[in-house]
Amino acid sequence: MLDPVSRNLEQYMTLLSVRQKLVASNIANADTPGYKTQDIDFQTELQNAATGLPPAVQPVAGLTVKNDGNNVSLDREARLLAENALRFNIASNLLRSKLKMVRMAIEGGNTSS
Amino acid sequence: MSLFSTISVSASGMSAQRERAQVLVENIANADTTRTAEGGPYQRRDVVFESAPVASPFSSFLESQIDGQANGVQVSNVVVDSRDPDRRYMPGHPDADKDGYVSFPRVNPAEDMVDLLGASRAYQANVSAISAVKDMIQRSIDLFR
Repeated sequence: MLDPVSRNLEQYMTLLSVRQKLVASNIANADTPGYKTQDIDFQTELQNAATGLPPAVQPVAGLTVKNDGNNVSLDREARLLAENALRFNIASNLLRSKLKMVRMAIEGGNTSS
Repeated sequence: MSLFSTISVSASGMSAQRERAQVLVENIANADTTRTAEGGPYQRRDVVFESAPVASPFSSFLESQIDGQANGVQVSNVVVDSRDPDRRYMPGHPDADKDGYVSFPRVNPAEDMVDLLGASRAYQANVSAISAVKDMIQRSIDLFR
């Protein structure tokens, strides 16, 4: 990519989309007997993003287990759903301004387009 | 991009919840049905969910390590409630036995209505997940502008 900041933003967005997929999976399985909530350790995975390894998915500890063995908390998933979308929004706006700067350089400072 | 398969995951949740709602509505509709094709009163049904991998639009490409981890949901089984029928004394009823009792399905409408509310809320949760992911995809597309 263009520079280290853009590369970090890209990794951040990729990780957010992986997490969003897990959240969607948790919501879809909110009534599946025996299903355990899955998530990634965001901080650690972001530091490891440069290694190119796929993020490690792990069950979430400390959630209330219902009678059918399911421990999905819809409140937690709703919060993460909104949080991931907003974080993605921020990152994409930042990346867009980066791309705008490159375009400005290409067009010689002519910002009319 | 794993965002597109995220939509498939939520869509599997929506179709499973819709199937559940269908079965519950069938129970409520047949709460007083005393004859069925199999004979005897209607028997209450319920769905069993299981998590299952989803088929994504670009499955061969997307079956990378990242995408192999999140599962959708599907209806694995429809179970029949085998509780004894509710016997009511109605001697004039055409389905009454020799003692004058009619077997009615053991359907508690309150129970099914509560389940139906749960199915409807879970469906809405999946819809919100899809719209959040759709917004993320749109943001990514906007990067090209």
